[in-house]
Amino acid sequence: MSTHIPLTDINAELQSATPQAILRHALQEHDNIAISFSGAEDVVLVHMAAEIRPGVKVFCLDTGRLHAETYAFIETVRKRYDIQLEILFPDAAQVQKLVSEKGLFSFYEDQHQECCGIRKVGPLRKKLLTLDAWVTGQRKDQSPGTRADIPVVQADKAFSRPGETLTKYNPLANWSSQQVWDYIRALDVPFNPLHSKGFVSIGCEPCTRAILPGEHERAGRWWWEESTKKECGLHSTNIDK
Amino acid sequence: MKITLVKKILADGSPCKKCADVLDKLENSGQISRIDEIVIADERNPDSTGMQLAKTLEVDRAPFFIVEDDAGNTEVYTVYMKFVKEVLDQKTEESDELQEIMSNEDLDFL
Repeated sequence: MSTHIPLTDINAELQSATPQAILRHALQEHDNIAISFSGAEDVVLVHMAAEIRPGVKVFCLDTGRLHAETYAFIETVRKRYDIQLEILFPDAAQVQKLVSEKGLFSFYEDQHQECCGIRKVGPLRKKLLTLDAWVTGQRKDQSPGTRADIPVVQADKAFSRPGETLTKYNPLANWSSQQVWDYIRALDVPFNPLHSKGFVSIGCEPCTRAILPGEHERAGRWWWEESTKKECGLHSTNIDK
Repeated sequence: MKITLVKKILADGSPCKKCADVLDKLENSGQISRIDEIVIADERNPDSTGMQLAKTLEVDRAPFFIVEDDAGNTEVYTVYMKFVKEVLDQKTEESDELQEIMSNEDLDFL
């Protein structure tokens, strides 16, 4: 793993590249790389990557609270594509402690961070500590407030090993939801049947709901919590001036 | 080793709450003495030292820590718990680390 990569330059170079070109670059640059797959429309990354590098590593977080449809869809993807799909699970002792102390629906009372920390971030961090690079399905249009500036490639400072660089690729950053769905339909990519029931952003079953026409997709996640802008972000338009 | 803390002033001129929380923790633990310099990233002023450091170091959030070792190597930490664990050798609870990451990072795409 390199300790310094000029990612800003690479990001600038790849800004106008297609998701496939970004993925190809990522897979050529890193052997120890994996794609995160949520069981939603980020399946397009799996489709693209399996064509570029058959046998590519893909991982999926099984929080234990996903919809039955999502589990079935993950299995569909596993069987359809030439990929090494790894399902990651949360630490059983941590889940047991949380549930014993706070019950099965603590997130409705004291917000979702603790539960997500145990069920998603813990296994994700454990996995990312073994990788040199990972690929996500993040897009700018998923949240104008917090994702408007996401680059196509960046150094992941939250999950890197001490003194090393973990590179994070977001090949779909500049694609819209419409472009993703055009791709899915044009190439007959399988998709989670929940999308046909009004679900746009799909997470755990208790924390995901269908949305109405005109609602932003974020309205379908953690809707009982106050919608506040993340304060920790630094507005890059200011930085770039 | 030199440690710099970059804290933020929001575009409306108000102080960043997360930055204040981090400073409180450093002061309460006595580890504020390990911080050599505190600089401001003022969202109203792109030329402020902190904003320029953020640009140079490709950081998109605050607060963050810049750790420069004696050989001149620079490491950036955007997660407080990661910083105190890896740099200050402070024992941390995994649940606290995970909650901080979940609060800071935009991870609902997973």
